[in-house]
Amino acid sequence: MANPPTKEMPAAIQLDTATPISVSVRNVYKTFDTTPALKDIALDIRRGEFFSLLGPSGCGKTTLLRSIGGFETPTSGTILIDGKDVGGIPPYGRPTNMIFQQLALFPHLDVYENVAFGLRVQKKPKEQIDGRVKGALALVRLEGYERRMPSQLSGGQRQRVAMARALVNEPSVLLLDEPLGSLDLQLRLQMHEELRRLQRTLGNTFVFVTHDQGEAMSMSDRIAVMNGGVIVQLGTPEDIYERPQSRFVAQFVGHTNLFDGKVIRIEGSRVTVESDGISLAATTPTPVELGQAVTVVVRYERLGLGAGDTTLRGNVAERMFLGGTVRVVMALSGGRLVTADIASTAATGLPAIGEPVALTFNASDSRVLVA
Amino acid sequence: MSVLAATALDDVGSAAQRPRRSLNGWSIALFIYATAFYLFLYGPIAIIVLLSFNNSEVTGLPFRGATTHWYEVVFARPDLMSALFNSIALGFISAAIATAMAFFLGLSFRRDYVGQQLVLGLVLLPIILPGILGGIVLLIFFGYLGIRPGLYTTVLVAHVNWVLPFAFLTLNGRLQGLDRAVEEAAMDLGARTHQVMLRVVLPIIRPALVATLLFSFSLSFDEFIRTLFVMGYDRTVPVVLWSAIVDRLAPELPAMAVITILISTAGSLCGFAFAARASKRQA
Ligand SMILES: Nc1ncnc2c1ncn2[C@@H]1O[C@H](COP(=O)(O)OP(=O)(O)OP(=O)(O)O)[C@@H](O)[C@H]1O
Ligand SMILES: [Mg+2]
Repeated sequence: MANPPTKEMPAAIQLDTATPISVSVRNVYKTFDTTPALKDIALDIRRGEFFSLLGPSGCGKTTLLRSIGGFETPTSGTILIDGKDVGGIPPYGRPTNMIFQQLALFPHLDVYENVAFGLRVQKKPKEQIDGRVKGALALVRLEGYERRMPSQLSGGQRQRVAMARALVNEPSVLLLDEPLGSLDLQLRLQMHEELRRLQRTLGNTFVFVTHDQGEAMSMSDRIAVMNGGVIVQLGTPEDIYERPQSRFVAQFVGHTNLFDGKVIRIEGSRVTVESDGISLAATTPTPVELGQAVTVVVRYERLGLGAGDTTLRGNVAERMFLGGTVRVVMALSGGRLVTADIASTAATGLPAIGEPVALTFNASDSRVLVA
Repeated sequence: MSVLAATALDDVGSAAQRPRRSLNGWSIALFIYATAFYLFLYGPIAIIVLLSFNNSEVTGLPFRGATTHWYEVVFARPDLMSALFNSIALGFISAAIATAMAFFLGLSFRRDYVGQQLVLGLVLLPIILPGILGGIVLLIFFGYLGIRPGLYTTVLVAHVNWVLPFAFLTLNGRLQGLDRAVEEAAMDLGARTHQVMLRVVLPIIRPALVATLLFSFSLSFDEFIRTLFVMGYDRTVPVVLWSAIVDRLAPELPAMAVITILISTAGSLCGFAFAARASKRQA
């Protein structure tokens, strides 16, 4: 606990030293039988932060969350909550509350008793229980539903009962395991706002697990992107989106065109990369050498039809109307596909399928990935 | 969307037509079969009920007018009354023990452990073991141990042994179906292990527990063969019924039979009602 972790700790760079650390995960490993689920996880979550764990299915998000909540024991490493090592402390002894993926409401208790459960088992005085339960139900806008059974509620209402049931205990850290997974898009968006509102009102730490990058982007202060039991990148939503540090993050977060090639010209941070006989202008965040093998990342929405530093020519292979944007898939002469999302308003002059088209982008909108 | 809806409607239409087409052949045969089935199943019971009210010294037809005399005879016979009391008391005690054992067994089965299959096999064995063999085995077993036959010793053990596999099968499904996340949620909210059990697990499975108790009671109440082998002086209803037939053709026999049937079906029916509630709660 006293000696700082020697391994690289991405969170440490991001930390605002003024804010106390709420959850500190230090070099945590977890192995199930022979399957490693977490490998050297290290991160610090600030008090009052909305922190997301983002990654594909099976990457270890739930395992990490359950380790913080006390439902899994790490094979090695330490977890500190509010500065206290919680190793060996069972879930009922931790200042955390969890919202489970399946919600896990008590089917035999009505809404009121579901929310009151935590206070009752902690033997809080009667009058205090009533006040706090009513307060929590008001917070999630469920007044008047006290006597409904969980089976008589809609998905969104159940969701909010689960929220109230956890929040009524005033946990220092709220753990949320993909709680919105079962809701339809409309309701999800509504719950996103509700969650943000709650988190700002209450000021406690939220650790939110999701595999939906849009969800993570729109709600989080910071995101840890996980893959295969490892944190592959940690940063603000903007960091993750604009400055992916690996192919995986570039592809997982947002829609991306990737071009593998070699550096053929360097002018400061601006480089030219040759990929399959095409020259691409890009910006590099790290110094590169001539001839170095790199990958150029261009997001779908950064490609356009106007003038740009790089012009790619091919034929329209596919076009899809997505509402605000039109997605164009262009086939280069070599057969390679490039995808662009063009604003619907700018897409009026777009050629038909099979017609030649030119897609352009600026060096400032494309990034070089080393390795 | 509309195409999908149309195909769905088509499916419903053709499904509705299928039985109508084959109405003549199969369904007539099925109707006859079903009628015969219910006749054989409930016919004898109906006749017993009828005979129990027959105003005749001889058990059997013809029907010579209605009387409740035989019920009065049954309720006036102390040996029958004590057998009834024995059976009910034994039924409740063995049901309680078997249900409790089934509950803890079921809890243990929620985790994997070595020898689990063996335990399961041993618990379920009495179902496949013929009753007469079971009786003999128990008799030898108690003989070796030098335990004197008695209602609340040997007979109770025999009944628990017989009822347990059914109790286990009734309760286990519910226990395995219990969402572990619900228990974890309780623990997360501050509940200790015993509070999780008392405030969450037991209330959720209560209907299933009651159903198991009632089924177990009915099974114990009806048990005959094993009881015959290991009983002492105190008799149960089935044994008394049996000796009544063997010793003499007792005219009050049908009345006794009807009382027995009523008690045991009442137990099972309530059991089914609770089982239905249990599965509704699970949904
Ligand atoms: N109790 C367990 N026993 C064995 N292996 C497990 C157990 N729990 C998780 N794992 C394994 O650990 C890995 C990580 O699982 P985890 O549930 O943390 O993934 P996840 O990121 O939450 O995925 P999802 O998005 O699908 O929920 C997976 O390979 C999984 O199979
Ligand atoms: Mg998960």
